[in-house]
Amino acid sequence: RTPTLDGPLSESANTRRESGRFRPRRPPPSRRSSSRLPEPAWSARPVLSDAQSADPELLDAFAAPIVDRRETARLVRELAAVRPLPGLRHVKRVRPCGDRGKPHPLEILVCLLSDVPDVEDRGAATLSSLLPCESFDASGLGQPFLAKVPASPPLTRPQYERASAHWPTSFHEDKQVTSALKGQLFTSAQKAKMQEYMAAAVRAAEDGRGRGMDAVGAVMVDPDADRIVATAHDLRHGSHPLHHAVMVCIDLVARGQGGGAYCYERHPACGFAGPGIKGEQRYICTGYDLYVTREPCVMCAMALLHSRIGRVFYGSASADGAFGTKYKIHTHKDLNHRFEVFKGVLQQVCSDLNPETTS
Amino acid sequence: LEEVPRGGHDLTKNEFAHPSSEEIQSWMAEAFGMAKDALENGEVPVGCLMVYEKEVLGKGRNEVNETKNATRHAEIVALDEVLEWCRARQQDPKAVCARTVLYVTVEPCIMCAAALRLLNIPLVVYGCRNERFGGCGSVLDVASDDLPHTGTSFQYISGHRADEAVEMLKTFYKQENPNAASQRPGRSGHGRAVPGSSCSCSFLVSSYDPGVSCVYRVCDLTLMADAGV
Repeated sequence: RTPTLDGPLSESANTRRESGRFRPRRPPPSRRSSSRLPEPAWSARPVLSDAQSADPELLDAFAAPIVDRRETARLVRELAAVRPLPGLRHVKRVRPCGDRGKPHPLEILVCLLSDVPDVEDRGAATLSSLLPCESFDASGLGQPFLAKVPASPPLTRPQYERASAHWPTSFHEDKQVTSALKGQLFTSAQKAKMQEYMAAAVRAAEDGRGRGMDAVGAVMVDPDADRIVATAHDLRHGSHPLHHAVMVCIDLVARGQGGGAYCYERHPACGFAGPGIKGEQRYICTGYDLYVTREPCVMCAMALLHSRIGRVFYGSASADGAFGTKYKIHTHKDLNHRFEVFKGVLQQVCSDLNPETTS
Repeated sequence: LEEVPRGGHDLTKNEFAHPSSEEIQSWMAEAFGMAKDALENGEVPVGCLMVYEKEVLGKGRNEVNETKNATRHAEIVALDEVLEWCRARQQDPKAVCARTVLYVTVEPCIMCAAALRLLNIPLVVYGCRNERFGGCGSVLDVASDDLPHTGTSFQYISGHRADEAVEMLKTFYKQENPNAASQRPGRSGHGRAVPGSSCSCSFLVSSYDPGVSCVYRVCDLTLMADAGV
């Protein structure tokens, strides 16, 4: 893994005070393997949409050196008229020639290969075969050559760098995405909080495992009030085959709001905090952050979408996971709620909980 | 009606016998009856039943509002009844579910489709498509995708009395909702509720998230229906 600039957090999870009011019981820390050692370094990496993470699609094009530099402005203007590049506004028409050994410092994009369907021999294309010779003054242009240009504007800095390696491209940088990709989105204090919340989810997972359940834990956090609203572990082998940790957690949030469909009294590690700020009216999980040790399955991912979750942080990937592995429910263009998902929080600790399902 | 079931790759599930078209018609008639009943009682008109060897083990309707839990879709409620039936008779839920057919007037959403997979349901018969959240072919095809750790894939038969299912939803959302705020702006109102007001399916809209629509899939589905899809 790539190291982050944030570096490892020195403090271990068990030395930190629990921020949520809810903590029905706390087993002795000596049993807790995850609490004994300092946490290894982790970084929260954003799970981006396919559009943001894909390699740039490239289009074949013809370019030519500008042999007479004084013609540059005219060539740019006239090429834009006879060979416009609609939909490629991100592509710069002229680029400096990378090779200092060449006599001509600039190269210009003449047209896309798709603009000239009649050209048969790509390698031997001439200016007269690419441009309407009767109306276009090609003086100042050299012998055309094949080039590749990115088909769509880059959305992330890595995409920008890959696209620009082919042809210069403009880039409207989303600073937040860039710093998230570098692992710099969160401050050390925020990372400490994230680690604390994930450690609570890990403890819930271990509680569940101690009761014969799958070791998956989840906590719902109100980030504004800085408190845990609900804590749950997997119950699919307990009360109900659909009671994955996330489903339990969502229902516990509902219980905390005066609703809820199930009772979890037999599972003391699953619970919810009382109402928060007086008079506060929460709408399901709007504005809440979910911390879950393992990437949710598609049922749980969609349940979080229905619940209008704010953000999701998970530890390790899962084989059929729906926040990056098999689907990206949180970025799906046809679904009506989109949200940020980060993976890798306490990754090693979370991954150790379910070694067989972690990819 | 598409008579050929779509999706699903492993329909060798035990000796599960497909329902005959007469059975499908008769169970869907009952599902539509439930939806009509819901409509007449001011509820979201979606009917759903789970049938195991000619016996109805579960029925459900949307319980999102009363539980404040956005996952309480009709299918999940009905699955709970099936599980309760198994518990009371000490039957293995997976074995029972592997021979249980879901009849529902609207395509199950992505979450419900995954839940049906997790419980080994082999076949779903549904009425109209759910363009907003559908997990049986419309938005995703959770029913047939390769998800080896998410139960078993299932087949679905879509389009049974689809127009009727959409009509009922339209009728429901045209009704004046006493809980809904009067200042709902714009066409149809659903999904554009004013902060603090309710959408027409009476799900409370938060005061600080004005863009949010009601949670239950059917309300969004109505936008689709209103748009003439």
